[in-house]
Amino acid sequence: MKRHLMIAAIGALCIGLFCSLPALTQAQGKKAASTAEKITVLNPMGTPPPITAKQMAQPLSTLDGKTLYLVNTGFPNTERLMEEYKKWFQANYPKTTIVDQRTGMSNLTPALKKELQEKADAVIFALGH
Amino acid sequence: MPVLLSEFEEQETEVAMLAGMPNVRIHYIRGPIWAKTNEQIKKQVIEGKSPVTGKPAMAEMVEMLTKPLTAEEKKTGELRRDRGPATYTGTADELQKLYLEKRYTDFMPIILPTEEKVEDMLKGTSHAPDEVVGRMNPGSDAGDTWTYTVKDCAVNAVMAGAKPEYFPLILAIASGNQTSINISDNGFASAAVVNGRIRDEIGLNYDVGAVGPYAHANVAIGRAWNLISINGGNCGKIGTTYMGTVGNAQNALATIIAENEEASPFEPFAVRRSNSRAGSGYGFGNAPGGASPKYKRGDNVVTLLSGWGVLSAANWKVNAWQSLMDYPKIIKGIYEQQNPGLFGTFIILSPPIANFVKDAGFDTVEALNKYVTQPDPAAKAAAPAAKPGGRGGFGMMGGGIDLIVTGASNNNYWMAGGLRPGQAIDIDKWR
Repeated sequence: MKRHLMIAAIGALCIGLFCSLPALTQAQGKKAASTAEKITVLNPMGTPPPITAKQMAQPLSTLDGKTLYLVNTGFPNTERLMEEYKKWFQANYPKTTIVDQRTGMSNLTPALKKELQEKADAVIFALGH
Repeated sequence: MPVLLSEFEEQETEVAMLAGMPNVRIHYIRGPIWAKTNEQIKKQVIEGKSPVTGKPAMAEMVEMLTKPLTAEEKKTGELRRDRGPATYTGTADELQKLYLEKRYTDFMPIILPTEEKVEDMLKGTSHAPDEVVGRMNPGSDAGDTWTYTVKDCAVNAVMAGAKPEYFPLILAIASGNQTSINISDNGFASAAVVNGRIRDEIGLNYDVGAVGPYAHANVAIGRAWNLISINGGNCGKIGTTYMGTVGNAQNALATIIAENEEASPFEPFAVRRSNSRAGSGYGFGNAPGGASPKYKRGDNVVTLLSGWGVLSAANWKVNAWQSLMDYPKIIKGIYEQQNPGLFGTFIILSPPIANFVKDAGFDTVEALNKYVTQPDPAAKAAAPAAKPGGRGGFGMMGGGIDLIVTGASNNNYWMAGGLRPGQAIDIDKWR
């Protein structure tokens, strides 16, 4: 009798487990579905301004006979860099006129701009970041 | 032809593009040049190679000056720029990963900005979603100026975890055009001081931990300012719009400071500045300066600041702890060490220190300032002659201290540093 009861109990347990399996699988499926649920979100970026590419200045055919400006923009120790550039150009391009000038870090004075436009064939600006 | 440091190549390529010269010939050298002798420069730069192309430096320089333009270099016309699609769709995990990869975040998980959440945020203001709020650049000509709308700000406010009731303050800050993450290799910090009833309305903390991340409002609003700067203003991108040599921990969260007006013996900061001759704000980057509108106690105002940041006043030798402390004299000592610094002297007093200052006979900040800026005859004799207006070279700022009162009364601690006030903005305008 006891053996029959035990077998019945085990059978009931198995039936119970078997019946709950689909429900368990369904719950897991719902959880998986919710984490896989797709949502739509908005782009947080602002709006960039438009840019128009400018025409580049024509390079020189030669440095000989030309005027090259070395414009120091005022970053610390740039004067030493410009001294070395000047020495090099004077040694290697003796037919090129080298002119030193100085400007502010972020602006070109109207007077210097005018001078460069009128007298410079090429300009080297240093030193920027 | 510009000569630039190769450490800034990525940024300068972008700057050139933004200036309409995507193919300009730039000669790069390895930096820094600062502090090098002529001999070092000759050997490392003139006789060296380009760190970008590997070509002998001077041969490359001459080539750049003389070689004919290529077909690519000759191109002109509009350069197409794309902010990306209006929306993104995916699972929550996919979108968090995407936003991180696209550098839309501050590297932390965000609240995903669904249309529903953004609509909710927009209820915090009466302004139209497509109204342009601000125009921001990273703080110099190195970056271009992006515009952003009320809706763009709402998206970023949602991402930051802000509540709709914070939105008028967030919009007021965004309308100042000041980035919270300045591009400079200095590593600047940004802060905003809030005055008025709004402090309690939205739960800003001005007690223990006032200058720190200790209330939801302070943290979320600071984070929103950062995200608006990153996304609305295209700031904070390493190599292009952010170049802080060692960075600044105060950028992790823009510092939102509510003044403890109730415990302060002085007038609120925004009120004092608006009634002071020295109350003009300094412009910074694209953010304008200029005279402050007139404010009275109770008005809801946010003042934007920028500079090196602040740290504990214990860092200054003049503030060595003793049983009796002469705080006005200590403040004067800090000012004399800082002046005329690039960002002036900014003092954050806790209420006990503020009351010590008042009890020492300084009923107003103006009276304290008069004492602080009075030169010490011995120090003046030893110092080099000051330039007119108290300004030194290199864009230095003189002219007294700026001071706020906030925090608790549990001990005699306070802060000082270099932050200069810019605009004082009416928050109620953005409700």
